[in-house]
Amino acid sequence: MFKFFAQSNVYFFIEKIIKFINSIFFLILIIGLTFSLILSPPDFLQGDSVRIMYVHVPSAWIGLACFSFIAILSIFNFIFKIKNFYLINKSLAPIGLLFTCLAIVTGSLWGKPTWGTWWAWDARLTSMVVLMFFYFFFLLTIKFITNQQLANKVSSIIAIAGSINLPIIKYSVEWWSTLHQPASIKISGSSTIHSSMLLPLLAMLLVFLLYCALIFLMKYKTEIIRIKKKTLKKYD
Amino acid sequence: MIENLIHMNGYGLFVWLSFGLVLVSCSLVYLKAKKTLNKYEKEYLAELKTLSVNEKNEVLTNSKVAQQVLVTNSKAN
Repeated sequence: MFKFFAQSNVYFFIEKIIKFINSIFFLILIIGLTFSLILSPPDFLQGDSVRIMYVHVPSAWIGLACFSFIAILSIFNFIFKIKNFYLINKSLAPIGLLFTCLAIVTGSLWGKPTWGTWWAWDARLTSMVVLMFFYFFFLLTIKFITNQQLANKVSSIIAIAGSINLPIIKYSVEWWSTLHQPASIKISGSSTIHSSMLLPLLAMLLVFLLYCALIFLMKYKTEIIRIKKKTLKKYD
Repeated sequence: MIENLIHMNGYGLFVWLSFGLVLVSCSLVYLKAKKTLNKYEKEYLAELKTLSVNEKNEVLTNSKVAQQVLVTNSKAN
């Protein structure tokens, strides 16, 4: 099964997937923006400031999802020592960092009109900042440790250690009394968000996911070429 | 209607700043990723060109990636 995911096999499909995403991306972006900025109703309490949710929530979800994925691959990497997992993590981490930062900044922009403050050292907000630092350390390790095996090992340890923070982020609003509201959308149990707001949110989530896939594939492709470039050196 | 869309009942600054920030930062990351990819593809092709015909053939027969980079770049040119 792992052979199917070999770089040369995967590389062939990357170009096709990038082209496909490019062809549908702007259409879905326009649909998402139209729904979130024009068609969705304002909240009865928060008014139009609720529209920030359409960029804030998908950003936070993606930031968390990327780190969860990185942590899982790091555990597998420890067990199976598959080089591809390191490359996937390396390509995924900058995307996760970008969306974690965006979630923090857009959250701050949403906090000012609704809570009356840009920032509070609340459990959810603080744990998101901790996640951002884990991303930073992960990327710094990859960038500055030149020995790839060591970089792989250290970054995997950081990712596995950072995964302890993930349930803290998820349940912080339930465990502690926080300024941040509890989750409105639940996978198990009934959600407390109306469909007129849920649909634009899902549309924007799709836009963000497509963007992530695009950036990930471009970065992964770059990593493969970087490796293949090294193999050309033997002819020098 | 357009005025309402811009002002958003007093929340326009916060809403547009959030969307604008996301749009600008995502665009910058996209451009950076694309630029790096193009740079590496060009460097790889340049190195491939410096090889002798036999070495080039060996690389192209053994590496699907090399074939793909060559095809993509010849299409682009």
